[in-house]
Amino acid sequence: MIHCLLIKITTNSRNLPVRSYHTLTAEELTFGRAAECSVHLPDPRIAMHHAVIKRMNDEQLHIVSINGELEVDGAIQQTIILTQGQQIMIGPYQLTMEPAPPDVDIAASLTLMHRLPDDFQDLKSRTHDPLPNASSFKRKLSAWMAGLITLIFLALPLAQNLIPQLRTAMTDLPFGFDRVWSPGHFSNAHLRFISQCSNCHQTLSRRVTDQACLKCHTDTAPHIADKNLELRAFKTARLSTGGMRCAQCHREHKAPFSLAQQDNANCIKCHGNIKTVNPNTTLKNIHDFDVDHPGFKLTFKNNTKDANIERIPQSDKARLIEKSGIKFPHSQHVGLVQGPGGMWDVHELPCSACHHQDGKEMRFKPVSFKRDCLSCHSQQLVVGPPKARLKIPHSEENNVFNQLKVYAPKQQLQYSENLKSDGCGYCHDIVDSKKGDALPWHIAPVSINQDWFSKAHFNHASHRTHKCQSCHDVDHSESSADVAMPDRKSCLRCHSGNSQKYKRIPSTCMSCHDFHNSHTMSENEVENKSGNTKSIATKVKPN
Amino acid sequence: MQRGNIFDYKNYLYFKLAVVMILIAFAAFMVFEPAVGHYGGSWIGYGLGTISALMVLWMAWYGVRKRRYRSAGTTQGWLSAHIYLGTALTVIVTLHSGFHFGFNIHTLAYGLLLVVVVSGFFGNYAYMIYPRQMTENMGEDSLDGLLLRIAEANKLARQIALLMPDDINNIVTHACQATHIGVGILEQLRGFQPNCPSALAVQKLTTMGNHLSTEQRKLHRELYSIMVRRQSLVKRARQDLMYRSRLGFWLYFHVPFAIALLVAMTAHIIAVFFYW
Repeated sequence: MIHCLLIKITTNSRNLPVRSYHTLTAEELTFGRAAECSVHLPDPRIAMHHAVIKRMNDEQLHIVSINGELEVDGAIQQTIILTQGQQIMIGPYQLTMEPAPPDVDIAASLTLMHRLPDDFQDLKSRTHDPLPNASSFKRKLSAWMAGLITLIFLALPLAQNLIPQLRTAMTDLPFGFDRVWSPGHFSNAHLRFISQCSNCHQTLSRRVTDQACLKCHTDTAPHIADKNLELRAFKTARLSTGGMRCAQCHREHKAPFSLAQQDNANCIKCHGNIKTVNPNTTLKNIHDFDVDHPGFKLTFKNNTKDANIERIPQSDKARLIEKSGIKFPHSQHVGLVQGPGGMWDVHELPCSACHHQDGKEMRFKPVSFKRDCLSCHSQQLVVGPPKARLKIPHSEENNVFNQLKVYAPKQQLQYSENLKSDGCGYCHDIVDSKKGDALPWHIAPVSINQDWFSKAHFNHASHRTHKCQSCHDVDHSESSADVAMPDRKSCLRCHSGNSQKYKRIPSTCMSCHDFHNSHTMSENEVENKSGNTKSIATKVKPN
Repeated sequence: MQRGNIFDYKNYLYFKLAVVMILIAFAAFMVFEPAVGHYGGSWIGYGLGTISALMVLWMAWYGVRKRRYRSAGTTQGWLSAHIYLGTALTVIVTLHSGFHFGFNIHTLAYGLLLVVVVSGFFGNYAYMIYPRQMTENMGEDSLDGLLLRIAEANKLARQIALLMPDDINNIVTHACQATHIGVGILEQLRGFQPNCPSALAVQKLTTMGNHLSTEQRKLHRELYSIMVRRQSLVKRARQDLMYRSRLGFWLYFHVPFAIALLVAMTAHIIAVFFYW
């Protein structure tokens, strides 16, 4: 039997301790929530049968846990020997072993150390307000984002522009702070120069100047050769911002669109009312290739000294005569022709047999006697009566006459007349000699026009799906004086003007014209504008 | 839906205005196309950009206007215009961009605008849907009223559980002590607590009444009904917090991103006119 003095310590309404004494006598003293327990502890944190005090084999009193936990100094223990002064936690209760009076085995006090919290306050502490600290979060996020954007997208790019030392220090870097201002993709042509925006944007708040462009593009031809006229024209064209800049037509940061502007708006600003630019001009107003573009003018080489180039409208047919110095009927050299083998040697002769393409735009190499004529025609001139024929190699006229002197000194005049009518004169125009000249006659200089539209460009490669004869009417050309160039109406069969028409593709000014093709060029300038192959007239050497 | 709300304000005045603006912008966009394609720096681009910038400033002014009691027009009218014209603004800005996007301040400003507008749409949706659901959920109760009733249920449940076996007592005690309502933004937005001890307690109590004595069974039934009632109260409290947090959460994006947009737009305009 165990005799126990249990002192229950509670607090009164003034929070002062109140001690109540109970004497318990039992074989075992049980602690728990259950009503049958010796020490009934009505707390949900206590097990139904939490622990028991009993005498063990060693005759000492132990407290043993059943379903609950026992703690001594924070350590959970299963069995604890009860000694005076010991403090044991049974759930929220503290069991303290007191000095035992003589009539009992043990004395212990029991105090509720941890009260159950107030349910409402407890639950409230576990319930948060909706979106706690929302205002401060929004303020902080706003400040951070505004600060970062200001720093990266405003302050640093501005600093790079406004602080010369920083600008200099960053010159060699692959990109600067102001790259974040770039509004779009760069064109391929400028990809090598985009490391720093300041390469082109030289002054902050000023638009890209022409000087920035001309730093590299030093050989760009002007639009009008007369500088004063060009300046006046451009000022008139750009009424709002004054002057015309390279960047007006060449728009960077717009890739994959072309760097050069391809619409007609800027051209029409002047050419739509050309008299406002230059009252003395003879040019007509043009708005649209399909509507009011004048007929083409063909460029002829003129041998008079004061003007080397003459441009004759295609409507003036009487003057459209080419003086090439060659007798060449196209009609006999197109389609089925008779070769050197006579009637047994008939074959198809395409245009490309003589006109050899050159370059990616498919321009043509000058016709060469050696390459193009000799494939069918003999290199030797056969002259004289049937019984005394002479074979003289095709050569300069001096050489030919020298050979006549050697092989037929006495019949030189007769052979000469024969050459004039049937030898050289078969293909070449003959001109009479001046008085005192050693030779009785001369061959007219050969000058075949290579570029009829010197103020426009034409890409044969883009038109290669068409037959040559669909534009060049050479089938019926009996004389080399004929000019078989297509007129504006031929173009309009497939092309329209500014806007697309039924089965016709739109064509802008830039489709045919080049803005930087200076408009009052000398012959040499014209000849050199696109290399030798595009020169207006090329002399054909006889060999 | 109530009559005379922000959407049909003055017989859809601002809706019609927004539609007209979008149509005009689209027509101008289709008719005047620069040779290098549409971009912000063309005349049509500058026009659309200027209108957009003014509209952004006006939209932002709504934030100031709604905090004032005295100003021109009704707050309802301002909000109606804010919503409809804000939607039109998105279209106009997109046309202004010419559909050119990249890693730069210009696209950043556009992206911020989209975040602001999309969050605004969510706010719009929230204010259309949640107030009604909140009323349906809470009736005449307040959140504190619900908490008080849950606390009472806790107390009652614990008292009954004192007489029940340990496993039941433990479950009930745990449910009372570990259930929390809307702790953390994620839980508030989701409207439930993962592995909620209250729900688990109800679930487990259904299977734990078999081995009880007759007297305890009676108590168990009583305890179970208390726990079920308590669970529904907890659920309602959480739902209430969910609606209230969802009603305010979109402003986490709408307001800070709007301020960032104003800064980015300023940088965008400075960049454009400093580097012509």
